[in-house]
Amino acid sequence: MTASSKIASSKSRRLVLACILAFAGLFGLDALLFRTNIYPSVLEPESTTGQFELILRREQQAQAHYGNNLVVTIGNSRFAWSAKVLDDLGQKAAYTLRDAGLAGTDPRAWYYMLRDLDPTARRYRAIAIGVDDYDDEDRGPHPEDDIRNLHYAIARLRLSDVIEFSASFSSPALRWQTFRGALLKGTVYQTDFLAFLAHPGPRRALVQLYRQQAGDWAYTYVESSHSMEGLKIDWATLGVTLPPGADQNQRDTVNSFLAHQPDEQTGKLYAFHRAWFGRILDRYRGSPTKIIFLRLARGPIPRPENLVRKPFSSIREFASRPNVVLAGEHAFDSLEHPEFYRDGMHLNRAGVEAFSVMLAEEISRILGPSEQTPDRM
Amino acid sequence: MLFNTPQFFLFLAVVLVLFYASPRPLRKHILLAASYFFYASWNYKFVPLLLSLTVIDYSAGVWLEKAHTSARKKAVLILSLSANLGFLGFFKYFNFLAGNLALALDKPPDAFFRDIVLPLGISFHTFQSISYVVDVYRGEQQAIRNPIDYALYICFFPQLVAGPIVRARDFFRDLFHWQRPTQADVSRGILLMAIGLAKKMAFADQFAKIANTYFGNIQGNPGMLAAWSGVVAFGLQIYFDFSGYTDMAIGMAKLLGFHFPVNFRRPYLASSITDFWRRWHISLSSWLRDYLYIPLGGSRHGKWKTYRNLILTMLLGGLWHGASWNFMIWGLYHGALLAVERGFRGNRAIHEQWDWLYPFKAVLTFALVMIGWVFFRAADLRQSGQVLGQMFHGGSSHSLFLHWQRDLAVLALILAIGEERLEWFDRLADSPALVYGSALALVFFLTELFGVMDASIPFIYFQF
Repeated sequence: MTASSKIASSKSRRLVLACILAFAGLFGLDALLFRTNIYPSVLEPESTTGQFELILRREQQAQAHYGNNLVVTIGNSRFAWSAKVLDDLGQKAAYTLRDAGLAGTDPRAWYYMLRDLDPTARRYRAIAIGVDDYDDEDRGPHPEDDIRNLHYAIARLRLSDVIEFSASFSSPALRWQTFRGALLKGTVYQTDFLAFLAHPGPRRALVQLYRQQAGDWAYTYVESSHSMEGLKIDWATLGVTLPPGADQNQRDTVNSFLAHQPDEQTGKLYAFHRAWFGRILDRYRGSPTKIIFLRLARGPIPRPENLVRKPFSSIREFASRPNVVLAGEHAFDSLEHPEFYRDGMHLNRAGVEAFSVMLAEEISRILGPSEQTPDRM
Repeated sequence: MLFNTPQFFLFLAVVLVLFYASPRPLRKHILLAASYFFYASWNYKFVPLLLSLTVIDYSAGVWLEKAHTSARKKAVLILSLSANLGFLGFFKYFNFLAGNLALALDKPPDAFFRDIVLPLGISFHTFQSISYVVDVYRGEQQAIRNPIDYALYICFFPQLVAGPIVRARDFFRDLFHWQRPTQADVSRGILLMAIGLAKKMAFADQFAKIANTYFGNIQGNPGMLAAWSGVVAFGLQIYFDFSGYTDMAIGMAKLLGFHFPVNFRRPYLASSITDFWRRWHISLSSWLRDYLYIPLGGSRHGKWKTYRNLILTMLLGGLWHGASWNFMIWGLYHGALLAVERGFRGNRAIHEQWDWLYPFKAVLTFALVMIGWVFFRAADLRQSGQVLGQMFHGGSSHSLFLHWQRDLAVLALILAIGEERLEWFDRLADSPALVYGSALALVFFLTELFGVMDASIPFIYFQF
């Protein structure tokens, strides 16, 4: 080897080494800030990620205070119940119910929530999952392409999740966005990070306030007492008569959740549920924890069954697994009245109160007598 | 395919692999095919136009060299210039002239409008073509005999859509005597691309948000400070946007073994408008100097003609940017400032000495340039007037910059002064792997934290 070729080779090595260092440095800096608790500790508590993390942390802390009669519920905003209502009744419940649900989430976000909430997959007596239907009725063409999942679950995503998580989206643009985000979390946290830089003081104060108060706020939260009394739907024409003084949200939720034309049944929701409920159930395979699916009340006026033929049902298929239980399909049908709803899809105060009691009873019925290990409150 | 998209990086990676994996005679064909693919990916309908201009100017070059009489040479030159300026004029200025004609004839403004889409990069490749033909006419450049070589000069993808405007002698020197890039070239190329990407995504696009907020709602953001911050944000946006693009273009050209001229040299540190134009869009200002200002007589015929030539050159430079009164006034404004400076300075060379007066001169120059940007950015003359009114007579208000945006601007200023005084770029490019790699990591991280993702804010100069 001549002297000049030695120099050239050493320069090439320098460049290759530098490029490796550059990428390692980028991933290292990203990991230092976003994969440790450095940045997540100052997340905007009212952001999607902030709320998700707040609930996760709250429930992780709560685990220390309860024995082995703990049941966690998980779902979206339609799965609304109140622990305070149950406490106020003064009855000693057989099981302690905790709520890890969050508005806007779906089974993919629940999987990542449960994975970190219950790393051993044995902490809970049961996990109660609230769903709209035991059948998978397709609504829209791509249930798997809800980008909010990236923001809910970002703090939970590990490097080993990058491929699996991004591949669970179908649109190439979203696949790229989620791949990039799961790999370099700063790209997802960016908006939150820049807002923090703009007002770091107020952010820290808000985070502090939420840390101290969020648990109480969630516990004492009282649902709106608005009612949908007077709502009528002509299912033949999908014509809607709203209650007098109905607002835009009530109109929108009635139209989008109830009085809509059926979509083509493609089986995509079925595939999505198979994948993500399947993942949750796989984690609990062989675990003493029961997975309870609960079909929630279907709305102020339920859609007639004959509006759409639903050929797919992932949840009914899962029912054959040993630790999976489907609550009575009609257990909450008595709530399907306009007076229990504040809009077209969410229970109001009276609905939440009634549902909370029914939920506790249904779970006790399914699980049977508790083992009565005292709570460590 | 914008330079700051994953698609472009994939394209570049494929081109680099194909380029270096191919036998040498094939390489220019690969670059040519890649360049046409790149151009067609924007709008394939304009490929025939690009090809037509290429054929015209290639033929003009060959004919010019074959022509023995000066009259025949002149005729070929005029034919070529007419074709180039005719296409440019039609696509770029037809509607502007039609609108003004309608106004003069008291007809509706769109009476003579045509639905014309401006071909991407036409201003740049037309100027490149013109410089080639004129150089051949002057005998400063040999006519290119191989049409592949000439076509590649016109459509080479790193600089096709927004420059820098590369002179034929520089391009063909690299093409005909192509040498594998040295490790230093590769180091600089990668660093330039990383810095260019950061300039575009983390700086330009962030400042664009402020500028768009301000110029999108001037009434909603009244006051002097709001106006100045909106205009300064645009000044920063256009600098980072355009210099970021050219940094990337120069960087990727280096990776392919081509050496483009520097296009920006920290223009906002200029101590005068003359100095500014020696630092801003250097390939355009030197083109205007060589093919317009000097042929007009330059400074050879007395001071008044010098002033006239300066103003006329800048006026046409303004018009090159776009067909509107705003661009013309912007050009006129800079021409007038250059003339005034020339009047004060006479024939003395400008001083770029960093003395105690320099900061004051730099701030004054910066402010004058910002005033010019008002015409460049505002939608029309009326809006320009409103903004200028707020800048000089607006009431009290607050800056539109957030803390971190101001900090980004300060960081850029520190880096610019550092480069001006210490030339850190070259030192960094030649530094040990640990330092070079760490610097790259920091640039990438800065882009990750501050870069505007997925918004597809196009490069400003793509519209010219």
